[in-house]
Amino acid sequence: MAGQEPAVGSPAPKQKGKATIDTLKIGCLAMVMKEGRTRRAEVLSIKETKSGRQFYCNFDNFNKRLDEWVPAARIDFEQEVEWPNPELPKEAKKAAAPVAKKTTVTKKSQKRPAATREASIISAESETPKWSDSMESQKATPDVEGEDKTALKLELERDAATPNYEDDDAMDGDETAIKAIKAKKELPDPPQSRAEEIEKLRVGGSMTQNQADISRIRNISKVQFGNYTLYPWYFSPYPESFTQEDLMYICEFCLCYYGDLKAFTRHRHKCAMQHPPGNEIYRDDYVSFFEIDGRRQRTWCRNLCLLSRMFLDHKSTYHDVDPFLFYVMTTRDEKGCHLVGYFSKEKESADGFNVACILTLPQFQRKGYGRLLIQFSYELSKIEGKLGSPEKPLSDLGLLSYRQYWTENLIEILLDFNEREDKVSIEALAAHLAMTPHDVESTLQALQMQIYHKGEHKIVLPMHLIKRHEMLKEKQKTKPKRVIDPARIQWKPPTFTAAQRTWGW
Amino acid sequence: MPPRHVRQRKLTKATLQQVLREDQIESAEYDSNHNHQHVETGVERHEENEYHLQAALASTGGGKASEEIPAPPAEKTVDINYDALYSLKFKKPATYIRVSYTVEEVTGCQYDMDSEDDTWLQAYNQGKSASQKLSEDDFEKIIEVFEDTTENHTPFAAVDNTLIPFETMSAQIKLRLPSKLLDIAEHVYGHWKDRKQASGNKSIQPGLKFEINKDDDDADPYVCFRRREVRQTRKTRARDVQSVDKLKKLRKELEEARQLVALTHSREVQKQTMMINEKAIFDQRYKVKVAKTKLGIKGDDEDFINQKPQKRKSEFPQPQRTAPGTQLRLPGRSDGRPLEADLILLSERLAEKENMLQKEIEEKTQQHRRWNQGHVDLTRDPLSPANGQGPETGFRPATAQYQYLMTPPSSVTSESFDHQSPAQEKQESFAFRYSSPPEEEPRGQPAYRRRIGRGGRLWIDRRGMSAIKNDENMSDRWKYDQDDEEEQPVYELDPHDTNALRFRATIPFPPHFYPQHGRQDNRPRAPGPPANIRAIAAVQNPAAPP
Repeated sequence: MAGQEPAVGSPAPKQKGKATIDTLKIGCLAMVMKEGRTRRAEVLSIKETKSGRQFYCNFDNFNKRLDEWVPAARIDFEQEVEWPNPELPKEAKKAAAPVAKKTTVTKKSQKRPAATREASIISAESETPKWSDSMESQKATPDVEGEDKTALKLELERDAATPNYEDDDAMDGDETAIKAIKAKKELPDPPQSRAEEIEKLRVGGSMTQNQADISRIRNISKVQFGNYTLYPWYFSPYPESFTQEDLMYICEFCLCYYGDLKAFTRHRHKCAMQHPPGNEIYRDDYVSFFEIDGRRQRTWCRNLCLLSRMFLDHKSTYHDVDPFLFYVMTTRDEKGCHLVGYFSKEKESADGFNVACILTLPQFQRKGYGRLLIQFSYELSKIEGKLGSPEKPLSDLGLLSYRQYWTENLIEILLDFNEREDKVSIEALAAHLAMTPHDVESTLQALQMQIYHKGEHKIVLPMHLIKRHEMLKEKQKTKPKRVIDPARIQWKPPTFTAAQRTWGW
Repeated sequence: MPPRHVRQRKLTKATLQQVLREDQIESAEYDSNHNHQHVETGVERHEENEYHLQAALASTGGGKASEEIPAPPAEKTVDINYDALYSLKFKKPATYIRVSYTVEEVTGCQYDMDSEDDTWLQAYNQGKSASQKLSEDDFEKIIEVFEDTTENHTPFAAVDNTLIPFETMSAQIKLRLPSKLLDIAEHVYGHWKDRKQASGNKSIQPGLKFEINKDDDDADPYVCFRRREVRQTRKTRARDVQSVDKLKKLRKELEEARQLVALTHSREVQKQTMMINEKAIFDQRYKVKVAKTKLGIKGDDEDFINQKPQKRKSEFPQPQRTAPGTQLRLPGRSDGRPLEADLILLSERLAEKENMLQKEIEEKTQQHRRWNQGHVDLTRDPLSPANGQGPETGFRPATAQYQYLMTPPSSVTSESFDHQSPAQEKQESFAFRYSSPPEEEPRGQPAYRRRIGRGGRLWIDRRGMSAIKNDENMSDRWKYDQDDEEEQPVYELDPHDTNALRFRATIPFPPHFYPQHGRQDNRPRAPGPPANIRAIAAVQNPAAPP
């Protein structure tokens, strides 16, 4: 496993030295106590509290949602800290390194049109550096040629200095060959500069990979939402003054946000909303789905985006909500239809994505709602007669949810084919589940089900998956799994005129 | 092992693959394709190696109890009165919900007072009588007006630091709120002004940051929901042609409008010159008059005033004639040019006459109908035309010489039967129903009608020839009942029906009454004629149905 690979900070050699509580500054890498042992962490922010100075730390190979403010007592000052490199801001190096790697394998990358397109954007960008030095975001861009070269050099140096780099899973066989495979696999999502990303977002999509430094730090500490208290995971661009508040209030139905309890109470006194402001397109005894047009319900959809941004790291709030439709899942009770989760979908996706962002609110997580959301997105794709895939990058939780959904459905079909002793193609599986063949293939790969036997490609069902499937089936006899009933969907794919497409939906 | 890798056939999406269970195959026999492959996850690369994700992925792949990715949990709030805050009850409609209202439309007043406002309001209400107190709702409404007006009148207030004076505000208050709030509004204005200045002349309510100027905005993560740039439409030949056509049409329409304006202009100019000329003439006449008076010529004043109408009269020889068409005429046509519409066409005259005739006939028909209004028909099967009272055109009485000939007169075409001049129509007699059945029935007189049926078949309808009584109501009964031909005919008779009895008693037995009801007449019959008309197919079409 690649667990030990340093993910925080630059791979470049760093000046090391002992630090004290007063000299430790933003950008330093220090050893901090976390979950029972000291871990390498990057200091992203420093604040003074009544109990002393606190440091906002991002831990190596820990998701950002586990970032936290730590008191000085948890920092191990016995060990040396790595000082930030003054010439080369950390982010730039981090982004630049893979670009350098790419240059060695451009030939392979040509196979994938997406990768080549993005690569060409990068090269076009680097020819005309247009970023002024004054711009803060320049830190995050690898597009200045000089910087690029430095990065390449650094990369080579590092490789020479640490020959065991990436060695963890390269136990057998030719090391370089494996490296090439690895590099090739990594290529389809080469890093993008912020400029490219904004350019891409202009045309479509909802995901971002690069974030400015402020947005790496969680800004809202606690949220009162409906009957629940939520602890946000990530930064969300709520009004800046809210960062001063201990608690932010969000109206459960219209999703309006308040820093002041009196204002929130006054709002609740007037707010008459009891369900998402759109058309109900699905209802069973458990959940309802509503379809909401980002252009018509701008305020509501913006509020939803701000809310979900607190739990989705890569969600972009850079552009407005107009080109998206929002499919909102709710549960009903005597108070109204409570937001459980949602997914957004581009009105017209150039890449054939059927989901842009997808989220189950934390208070409803681990209850199977995510699976319902995912199933619903594929049911809509089936009605449209399209194959769909979620927009990338996926979050860790997103990947797990999708993997689970894909696995369960594929195993079910494959067991059926196995019983009938019938053959099946990847295409047929894809068409049956409204998944892209690419997703089918990667799932089969991840489950190690593709084999080569007696001169033929075959699919093998691992016993542990069959067992688990049988266990699930057994369990479902007593407690049936919640599923979407496609017959209850009252939905026609919305159509848009050429003028709407041209003039921003 | 390595050579085998090379020999592997390519796996395509369409390749049909066998599906096996792990226990159906010897594990030593096959190569897994994944030994060294890195599976694409779609997760960002630097997050892919995250400790918890890897642990979770490993657990799902390995069949162990699945590991969860830790996340800050959500909890039930304990210190909030949920039922008080969310007091509305929800009633699930039976059908799927369909609404389009926006957040702004259902949240009432857009200003929500906060604790700072509350402090001020409580201080303001201190010691005031209940009627004097300012309610929270009214307070919010007043502030809402202030904020709205600021946004509308000075959208850049935050930049140039302008503050709208109370005079402007009071005008808005008067417009939007009840007048009793105007006095209080002045007090609220002071509070609002303080808050406004404290917030740097921005909106009092915390709001999102939107793009203001591009340079700092791009890097500011708090700036959100920027407008997306308009997407470039793809240029195609069809789109080009479409655009060109649109432009051409627009250009043509503009050109037409321009010409219309130019023509109107020249018309008005001509009108003006005409008036000038008229005035000049008048002036000249006036001079003549003056000269005449001076010279003592006692002429008639006509040449001064009357001349013009006279002249006009000669110009328009028939002013009366134009009267019927006046409302149709354009006002601009007063230059006396005779209009085509004024010509009375012969065809119009004829049509008018025809209309009059038609009207007269209709009137008479109506009159007769009125006469017959109270009439109760006691007959079971009225012999006179019951359904259509219209004239039975087309039947010509057969004269004696034709009576025994089967060939009808062929000299008159059916067209001329149908199309008759209005003059003839007037002379046509109507078979009006009187209170008693007419004495002489046309049945005695044989008559013929020729018509052209479907497919060009020629039909001869004859009347007064057949002796067979054809009961209209009964005929249907046997239509699909051919087998019963031999059976005794069934008469549908109500034994207690005195009406029929009474009627029967009054009339003599028709001479040609035969009780041959069972005999069916399958041939198509003429629409609406009396029952005893039979139609026979003409000889030209032997294939006609029997």
